[in-house]
Amino acid sequence: MNFDFTEAEQAFAEEVRLFLRANPPETFPIDGMDAGYGSGAHSRAFLRALGAQGWLSMCWPKTHGGREQPMFMKLVLMEELALAGAPFGPLAGCWQTADAIIEFGTERLRREVLPAIARGEATFWQGYSEPDAGSDLLALKTEARRDGDHYVIRGHKIWSSHAGIATYGLVFARTSREARRSRGFSMFVVANGTPGMDIRPIRSLTGEVYHHEVFLDDVRVPADLVLGPAGEGFQALLNGLDADRFWGRFYKAPALGRVLRQLVDYANMTPVRGAPLARDPLVRRRLAAIAADITALRLIFYRTGCLIRDGAPLTYETAMAKVYADETGQKLARLGMDLLGVWGPLREGSRWAKLGGQISHLYLTTLGHTIAGGTAEILRTSVAVRGLGLPSEPKPAAEPRAR
Amino acid sequence: MDFRPSPAQQILISTARAFLRQHCPPELVQRLALDERGFDETLWRRMAELGWPGLLIPLELGGSAGSLLDVILLVEEMGRAGLPGPFVTSAVVATSLLLAAGSPAQQKRLLPTLAAGERVATLALVEESGSFDLDAVTLECAVPGRLTGRKLLVKDAHVADDLVVAVRVGGHASLILVPADRPGIARLPLDAISGEKLFEVTFDGVEVRPDDLLGAVGDGHELLAGALQAGAMARAAEMVGGAQHVLELAVEHAKTRVQGGRPIGGYQAIQHACADLVRDVEASRALLYAAAWKMAEGLPAESDAAQAKAYAGEACLAVARRGHQIFGAISYCEEHPLHLIHKRIQAASVEFGDGQFHLETVARAIGLVSEAPLPPSEATISPRDFPG
Ligand SMILES: Cc1cc2nc3c(=O)[nH]c(=O)nc-3n(C[C@H](O)[C@H](O)[C@H](O)COP(=O)(O)OP(=O)(O)OC[C@H]3O[C@@H](n4cnc5c(N)ncnc54)[C@H](O)[C@@H]3O)c2cc1C
Repeated sequence: MNFDFTEAEQAFAEEVRLFLRANPPETFPIDGMDAGYGSGAHSRAFLRALGAQGWLSMCWPKTHGGREQPMFMKLVLMEELALAGAPFGPLAGCWQTADAIIEFGTERLRREVLPAIARGEATFWQGYSEPDAGSDLLALKTEARRDGDHYVIRGHKIWSSHAGIATYGLVFARTSREARRSRGFSMFVVANGTPGMDIRPIRSLTGEVYHHEVFLDDVRVPADLVLGPAGEGFQALLNGLDADRFWGRFYKAPALGRVLRQLVDYANMTPVRGAPLARDPLVRRRLAAIAADITALRLIFYRTGCLIRDGAPLTYETAMAKVYADETGQKLARLGMDLLGVWGPLREGSRWAKLGGQISHLYLTTLGHTIAGGTAEILRTSVAVRGLGLPSEPKPAAEPRAR
Repeated sequence: MDFRPSPAQQILISTARAFLRQHCPPELVQRLALDERGFDETLWRRMAELGWPGLLIPLELGGSAGSLLDVILLVEEMGRAGLPGPFVTSAVVATSLLLAAGSPAQQKRLLPTLAAGERVATLALVEESGSFDLDAVTLECAVPGRLTGRKLLVKDAHVADDLVVAVRVGGHASLILVPADRPGIARLPLDAISGEKLFEVTFDGVEVRPDDLLGAVGDGHELLAGALQAGAMARAAEMVGGAQHVLELAVEHAKTRVQGGRPIGGYQAIQHACADLVRDVEASRALLYAAAWKMAEGLPAESDAAQAKAYAGEACLAVARRGHQIFGAISYCEEHPLHLIHKRIQAASVEFGDGQFHLETVARAIGLVSEAPLPPSEATISPRDFPG
């Protein structure tokens, strides 16, 4: 057992801290809402700055322009960025897309998209969900029809986060009607602005635009922009979602630790009838208990990270870790609202808002985390079935499909 | 970073698991829980042959020179098997105290016999306040002199040959080490649901000699802190092992108990409960290992250990309660193993500092100011709940 970082990891963490001191995160322009996951707001400028450091491609093979750094360096980077509250929103999505392209991307994707990711100039929205296909993703109706060396996509996606400011969509569509429900799907890398693509903003409960609805009306996509073996897209997607749960939540623990520090300061400095709030035993106990939660969460993610690094098979680990992350975030946000009391509801930028109004923002955004990327219910089922070997619930009899 | 036990630790774990499966089966655990004495000499001797009671003791004193992390891994297996007895109190807590504070003569006299399992020692700390905080100790003792008073919740006093007693010498927190059969000492059993053997130990004009001091007068705080931390970690390990056992039993039951034409594990309500058990056990274990590793490496780990103990107390107890729900009525029976594991987890959660106690350590560690308590009228809960 060893819970320490290697010398190289510590040196890299220091390098990142120096970079952040030289480039204060709050000085970068923001393009899109901070969704509360811990990766901050969407900032193209910040992503480009990371690209200029060579950090976006540092773990890629040399043949793809990388430096073959160990995977743990990504964890070190994300942890430092989250601790600093940096706006690196799209980072995890970029890395995952890059990994998929490196693993099974076409020549064209490698040539056109990878270098753009390395420079921090490409970001991706996920076009999976549809109005009638949420948890039951396989109920999706978007279809891609082969037409010569192109596919023609027709359908309607929804809840696509930051689709309006990204450069590409990862559109998941049915490519053939096979007997087996989980076959015949493919993933397409579709450039924003492709004719026939209509991206419409949906205003979120925070008052900002985060989600989008995307109408695909005979969008023509070259066949070499399919990501992964055509028809086998669902397995690729599942693997991607598994990774998403890890990479898209890894930074939650350090980010929550950062919020906790602010709540501790607030409790220390806020007088309640003459004594600091911090002296209230219940406040002390709740803050201390969530500190232990955050420590445990961080360890659970590092443990999963070790399994991924060592190539060990994963069954339930990322699902369990994601649910724990999301529920801990909700717990901290609620505690924050409790501590702030009457000031809690004030929004960022409001007169008299405490802690920059970020707690009310966190409270609202974390509500979505147990829904996005697999609901807490679906994932608990997955832990039980895939992890513990409990029997699946019987599926309702399939409806005959209209032809 | 590496979460896996070393090869040597893996051998320790698998040896312990196989040994306990053979020599500490559920029937024995049941029998000992109902037995007044609750101590199996043969089993204890066999454990000694494996070197377990001497795990923390250096080679030259007859031990096997393991680390606290080794102890934690071993105790986790003990918790999984539900092994009762004085291992934690004697081989972890009292042994740690002797290692930290014993004079060469005391160490030479006691540590080899503790390592060999020939003697058992326990700690007499808690008084009427119920607190594991040395500040709460009031028992006065002159050295040399006579000791009169009592200690409560002394674990396994009936099988102990030696008592480490926390006292005040001229007001200064100190420790003394006396044989349990010294005239004037009486051990009165308490009756606990856990089946753990707890005692009120009374001292009636007990002679205390100069060489009974363990460490110097006034060193009690410093000496006890390390041993209590080790004890808290061992109790956390026991909870994690117990909770792991509950998880295994519950999942097995969920797969085999059929209602409504299918295994109950095919219902989401049960599936989700089982998924939460996994999280509770794994998060508790992660905190435990990380804290034990830090302690074994000699790194500051006060807050880590406190987090591990407080967290395991909450989470592992939740596992036990959820286990009952998954099992249904069968787990209400005396002959079912679940309630015993549950009671043991509960007992472990309060020994060497309960959740409130350890969360206060964490509260200070995360920087919450604590100069003075709120005036009583404004406190939301009694300040008595928060020693320290
Ligand atoms: C913040 C946020 C960001 C998102 N970003 C994206 C994105 O970028 N791209 C994208 O494609 N999608 C995105 N989504 C959509 C997300 O993937 C879906 O919301 C999610 O899959 C759930 O689908 P649904 O909302 O339709 O809920 P439903 O599937 O209708 O579920 C509603 C409720 O029913 C429960 N339920 C459903 N089926 C079952 C079952 N079999 N067993 C037990 N309970 C069940 C669910 O757990 C939930 O509680 C995002 C969502 C949120 C909230």
